Amino acid sequence: MAAILETRDVVIRFGGLVAVNLLNIEVEKGEIISIIGPNGAGKTTAFNLITGVYKPTEGVILFDGERISGKRPDEIAKIGIARTFQNIRLFKSLTVLENVLIATHLNIKSNLFSSVLKTPKARKEEKEMVEYAEFLLKETGLLHLKDEKAENLPYGLQRRLEIARALATKPKILLLDEPAAGMNPKESDDLTEFIKNIRDKFNLTILLIEHHMQLVMSISDRIYVLEYGITIAKGKPQEIQENPAVIKAYLGEENDDLC
Amino acid sequence: MEKKKRNLILSVVSILVLIGFIIWAEECTKAFGVYNQRIFKTCCIYAICALSMNMVNGYTGLFSLGQPGFMAIGAYVTAFLTVTPSDKIAIYKIVPISEGLANLNAPFFIALIIGGLVAAFFAFLIGFPVLSLKGDYLAIATLGFSEIIRIFITNAQGLTNGPTGINRIPNDFMNLYVLCGILALVVIFILSMMKTSYGRALLAIREDEVAAQAMGINLFKHKMLAFIISGFLAGIGGGLLASLVGAIDPNQFKFTVAYDILLMVVLGGQGSVSGCIAGAFIVRIALEKLRFLDEPINFGIFEYPGIGGMRMVVFSILLMLVIIKWRKGIFGNEEFSWDKVFNFFSKFKKAPKKEVEK
Ligand SMILES: Nc1ncnc2c1ncn2[C@@H]1O[C@H](COP(=O)(O)OP(=O)(O)OP(=O)(O)O)[C@@H](O)[C@H]1O
Ligand SMILES: [Mg+2]
Repeated sequence: MAAILETRDVVIRFGGLVAVNLLNIEVEKGEIISIIGPNGAGKTTAFNLITGVYKPTEGVILFDGERISGKRPDEIAKIGIARTFQNIRLFKSLTVLENVLIATHLNIKSNLFSSVLKTPKARKEEKEMVEYAEFLLKETGLLHLKDEKAENLPYGLQRRLEIARALATKPKILLLDEPAAGMNPKESDDLTEFIKNIRDKFNLTILLIEHHMQLVMSISDRIYVLEYGITIAKGKPQEIQENPAVIKAYLGEENDDLC
Repeated sequence: MEKKKRNLILSVVSILVLIGFIIWAEECTKAFGVYNQRIFKTCCIYAICALSMNMVNGYTGLFSLGQPGFMAIGAYVTAFLTVTPSDKIAIYKIVPISEGLANLNAPFFIALIIGGLVAAFFAFLIGFPVLSLKGDYLAIATLGFSEIIRIFITNAQGLTNGPTGINRIPNDFMNLYVLCGILALVVIFILSMMKTSYGRALLAIREDEVAAQAMGINLFKHKMLAFIISGFLAGIGGGLLASLVGAIDPNQFKFTVAYDILLMVVLGGQGSVSGCIAGAFIVRIALEKLRFLDEPINFGIFEYPGIGGMRMVVFSILLMLVIIKWRKGIFGNEEFSWDKVFNFFSKFKKAPKKEVEK
């Protein structure tokens, strides 16, 4: 099968620092792939490269065989790559529903004038947008909070709302940056189920950055391990757990987490 | 449901009262006073200018100070098109106006809209270089634009009559019905627009540019949209001002005008239509009503000599106090609602009760 997302020898330098070095990730349709590695390994930077926030210094990124490196983040979102952020970036003073609605804007067909004048077509489109947003909120268990301001949500639900918002762009691939951060074991178990669920329901491919080893090991089809921007290992969860380089470099002190 | 009905009734009643007041203020010139009428009219015009700034600064979260430039464009276009050809020939003394230009003429409302459109076109043109700038840089660039426009107007003698400016601008339509009507149209447009997906996209940019872009919002396109609408509204405001005042010259559009408008927006609440209107009225009325501070006052025992500019000092102090109390302006970024009024007053009612309990 051809890869849906592929990075080819991607390098990015910030001044003297090589944050990501020769990154070669291949993701196939329907897979859940994890990227792990110690703090500062370049995981989030890899996401920022894929979503167009940064342009690679070298290398190319392909989506469905087409080059996306060099495109703007909004263009890449339109092509079908959505993401969440490590340090939650919701539209804080807007409501939960508005947060999700905004992410449906990229597919809008009505222009400004027909929207303001509420032509039948524009009205219908707006209604469909609201219905879809409410459907996503229902799927993510947030519907009863739709009129709440995003900033008033507890942390765990804010993370969920970020996922709902990302889904609203109708992505083909979803990039989750530490979705379980700050969650207790029970919550992160729920999250595992939730991620598998949305993958099946929305026909998604998922790329995941996570520190919770249990979640990573139980959910991933394959794992990439980064350290100082270099891919030090890749493979199935089992292989990663047994890989001496990984154990030494990354899991040395956290060995307990592996079991 | 109860509350909804109550709010609806209150809204209808207050709109009727407001309309009644406008009719009274316009018709009973003697009772209301020509001076007060004029303040009211100026307030309406500045409210439009404040709403223009709010589009970019309040909703989209950019910091632009281009209003004087856009207002000047709107004012000069409107003035140029409404002053009669014979008046124009009489006014342009230093560099005579060419016959073709003198004969360019349009009815007031058409001239006003053309003024708005020309201002919007300039917004579009300067949007390309400046909208990629962030924060203070955008403010500086747009302020620079305003100054360039002013200097251009000062020097384009044959077109603008230079530093002397244009006078004899007809003010046939400068009654409260027209001004309040235009303000109402602007308000309705903005409120409807902010309820559409495009309005939400602007708010998203204000809240978090990075996230907005990641969700597929084309930042440049949407900032440009806000900028063009803002330019149009400022152009309309400028055109109305020209017609109300009857005479314009480049110095009326100095960059300090941008600060006056910024003051209204910040005081009322960035991102709030109600706030901008309240801000415009409060600032204009306060500036007028504090005028007595600049003139001598006799307190009997001691005579206050009247210090020029004293009203600005007092006004600024009052303003600081207000901003300290309401950091985000009187309305914050929210709209007026009856529920809030009732909540506000119930706070006062409850407070003394608690004291009794203690
Ligand atoms: N815009 C930038 N400019 C300069 N350096 C950067 C920039 N973005 C990231 N870096 C650097 O790149 C390195 C990788 O950062 P990155 O955020 O990708 O790490 P990470 O693997 O996501 O770590 P964490 O687990 O802490 O989130 C760090 O040393 C970081 O300081
Ligand atoms: Mg990170």
